[in-house]
Amino acid sequence: MKRLTHVTLTLVAALSLGHAAAVTRGGELVYGRYADSLFLDPVLNDANLDIWILTNLYDTLLQPTADGKGVQPGLASSYTPSKDGKSMVLKLRAGLKFADGSALTAQDVKWSLDRARQPDAGAWSSSLASINSITVSGNTVTLLLKRPDPTLPAALATFNAAIMPQKLFTAAPGKNDAEKAKAFAEKPIGSGPFVLSEWKRGSYMVLKRNPYYWKKGSDGKALPYLDRVRFEIIPDDNTRILKLQAGELQGAEFIPLSRVAELKRNANLNMQLFPSTKVNSILMNNRPTLNNGTVNPLSDVKVRQALNYAANKEALIQVVTYGTGKVMKSYMSSTTPLFDASQKGYPYDLAKAKSLLAASKFKGGFEISVLATSGSADDLALLTALQQMWGAIGVRLKIEQVDSATKTARYRANDFQMRTAAWTNDINDPSQITSYYTLFDNIESVHTGFKSAEVDKLFDQSQQELSRINRASQYRRIQSIYLNAAPIIYLYETPYPVALSKKVQGFVQIPLGNNIFSAASLEK
Amino acid sequence: MHATYVLKRLLQIIPTFLAVMLVVFLLVRLLPGDPASAILGDRATADIVERTNRQLGLDRPLPVQFGIFVSRLLQGDLGDSISLKIPVLRLIGERLPVTLFLTVYAAVLGVLMAVPLAVLAAVKRNTWVDAVIRAVFQVGLSLPVFYVALQLLTLLGARLQWFPIGGYGDTFSEHLYHLFLPALTLGLNLAAVLVRTLRNSVIEVLTAEYVDFARAKGLRSNLILSRHVLRNALIPTVTLLGLNIGALIGGAVITETVFAIPGVGRLMVDAIFGRDYPVIQGLTLTFALLVSVVFLITDLIHARLDPRMELS
Repeated sequence: MKRLTHVTLTLVAALSLGHAAAVTRGGELVYGRYADSLFLDPVLNDANLDIWILTNLYDTLLQPTADGKGVQPGLASSYTPSKDGKSMVLKLRAGLKFADGSALTAQDVKWSLDRARQPDAGAWSSSLASINSITVSGNTVTLLLKRPDPTLPAALATFNAAIMPQKLFTAAPGKNDAEKAKAFAEKPIGSGPFVLSEWKRGSYMVLKRNPYYWKKGSDGKALPYLDRVRFEIIPDDNTRILKLQAGELQGAEFIPLSRVAELKRNANLNMQLFPSTKVNSILMNNRPTLNNGTVNPLSDVKVRQALNYAANKEALIQVVTYGTGKVMKSYMSSTTPLFDASQKGYPYDLAKAKSLLAASKFKGGFEISVLATSGSADDLALLTALQQMWGAIGVRLKIEQVDSATKTARYRANDFQMRTAAWTNDINDPSQITSYYTLFDNIESVHTGFKSAEVDKLFDQSQQELSRINRASQYRRIQSIYLNAAPIIYLYETPYPVALSKKVQGFVQIPLGNNIFSAASLEK
Repeated sequence: MHATYVLKRLLQIIPTFLAVMLVVFLLVRLLPGDPASAILGDRATADIVERTNRQLGLDRPLPVQFGIFVSRLLQGDLGDSISLKIPVLRLIGERLPVTLFLTVYAAVLGVLMAVPLAVLAAVKRNTWVDAVIRAVFQVGLSLPVFYVALQLLTLLGARLQWFPIGGYGDTFSEHLYHLFLPALTLGLNLAAVLVRTLRNSVIEVLTAEYVDFARAKGLRSNLILSRHVLRNALIPTVTLLGLNIGALIGGAVITETVFAIPGVGRLMVDAIFGRDYPVIQGLTLTFALLVSVVFLITDLIHARLDPRMELS
């Protein structure tokens, strides 16, 4: 018996090894996207539609890990911070090339980072703000810093720090950087696993294999395995799924959560729910009065807490996410580095909600309005369920449906009481979401108006703290202060639903959302 | 005489154009939300929004912006798309042929279905044939376009796999193949509108005295139908077709979204949600021009069919 098990195990191991070595090379993977990219310059744009493609075209010095918790070497084979944290030395791999075959040098690195960190370069320059100057020598790049910066490795692994070919970019037609970027982005050349070969806007985009890519596959030869990835733009959810079922696509993103269970039952498909950094919440206006001068019930912390306790997250997860979500316990997702697992969130507790409301200045109940995105079935399902739940404590919820540009405009003018919102991180560090959600000086704490001197101080410290343990405790405290103040309604975290053909192996969407095709293959 | 008429009609388009331009220019700016917020999303700071608006020239007074828009337009420049950063003229040049192809295709299919069936229904009026034809198209008319589209996709696309699910293809024959289902969807809807009118006018003409006269002369009924009846019965139908082609161009939005067709309908939706002012303005002007031209062509065909109508 024992012997048989041993033999079986050896056989299984041999077979799976054989399988790993025999990964299929070549072929075209057709992937359905819900919308097209807009503008493929890593510095001047920051829409997810671009970012999620950019990472296939351009490479960064460091890369986010697939689990979203850290960084790994990229174009740089190593990075060494100095003891005082005031500089960092990066060693470039030998023989790096751009997709046109020209050499990628340390000078390209310096030029790219200098371009990306100019204060008026896009919305992202601040991620590299701690860099004072950059020097290069041979394959070595040295970043001299204004202050120690624990977020720098994550920033160097983020799209805006992509390395671009200085010579090709500056040779592009145009009078200034913006015009050159426009011309270059039509036919971008980077050092990522793929290179853009064809783009019919609104219809499709073809990326072909970069023959000079540095990373090796499991067979010891250069990645990627695929010859081409073709992105088809199919805005309608049903059509995307039909095309997948008919075999016209081998992958499709943004599958509506309502159809996940059905696609899981399909024997030809591999319905994936990739962990994401997406948190879904309701942002509240915490200010004492509204824009029209009336008293704002949401300015009372007891009211905000009561609404949080009265929201039955488990039920909402069933109704809105069809069971695919996960209760949100901190303003940051559980996949974000330094997420504090001991955060309690707001478990459903109707009695507590009632007593909190009774102890507030608004014990008689009140009416409140929430901005929802028109046409969003999820928003409507969520808010009608909340209408019922909050009705139980005497709060009447009025749903106002507007398109997303109107919603943004209203919210920017602080002309709202509540609004539905979702967030995904772009960087593998808690500093991004924290600066937006908790710092008044950024955008008034995502326009909630939340302000805490202690949080401000802790955040400042955490931005220079080199000990991960100390940093974790600073973030633990920030998360607790925020939770108690309850400037938002904590709802749920949701995954990225991607349906793939069973033939597709090795594709990942990382928690930051980036689609990684470099190790994807199409098996026979 | 025809040439001067056409020229006069074309000149009449100019004031319409100017009015459309001004209205659209003001309307898009009345919408809440600005392009900078739409491109930059919820996260942008007030500084970045302000900087972007300044770069786009949206911080200048409205009359100045309108002046720039008009003077550029006179030089044939519709500006650059704010989100895609490419010239609007190029965008429209890429997308418009797709929508026009779909529209013409749908119109042809619609007419091919409507004319024989309407004539058949009229000739066999008040029989079961007539009843079936009318009932089928009545149902067709009352079903929403997106529903018909999805049903056709599911049946002919996914289940039977006779046609591709969406897309446009690269060659003429591929266009015909890829656009068949969307054209059929729109064509069915159009045919439903046309069948009713055409059937009624065929019946009306069939009972007219000159048809009785033709019959009395001993002309074969086929000849009567094609030479006398259809020609006269088509007049109101052509007008209706003209009106509906205008609507088809504007109504391509849903079909283009469901069938993933890269036409101007979808471009318009994206532009409105993205508050991409130059694209919205450029497309509206294009639609206005197209509809004017279609109406002109309709009138010319009308005149050709009915010599009594004077072009003046």
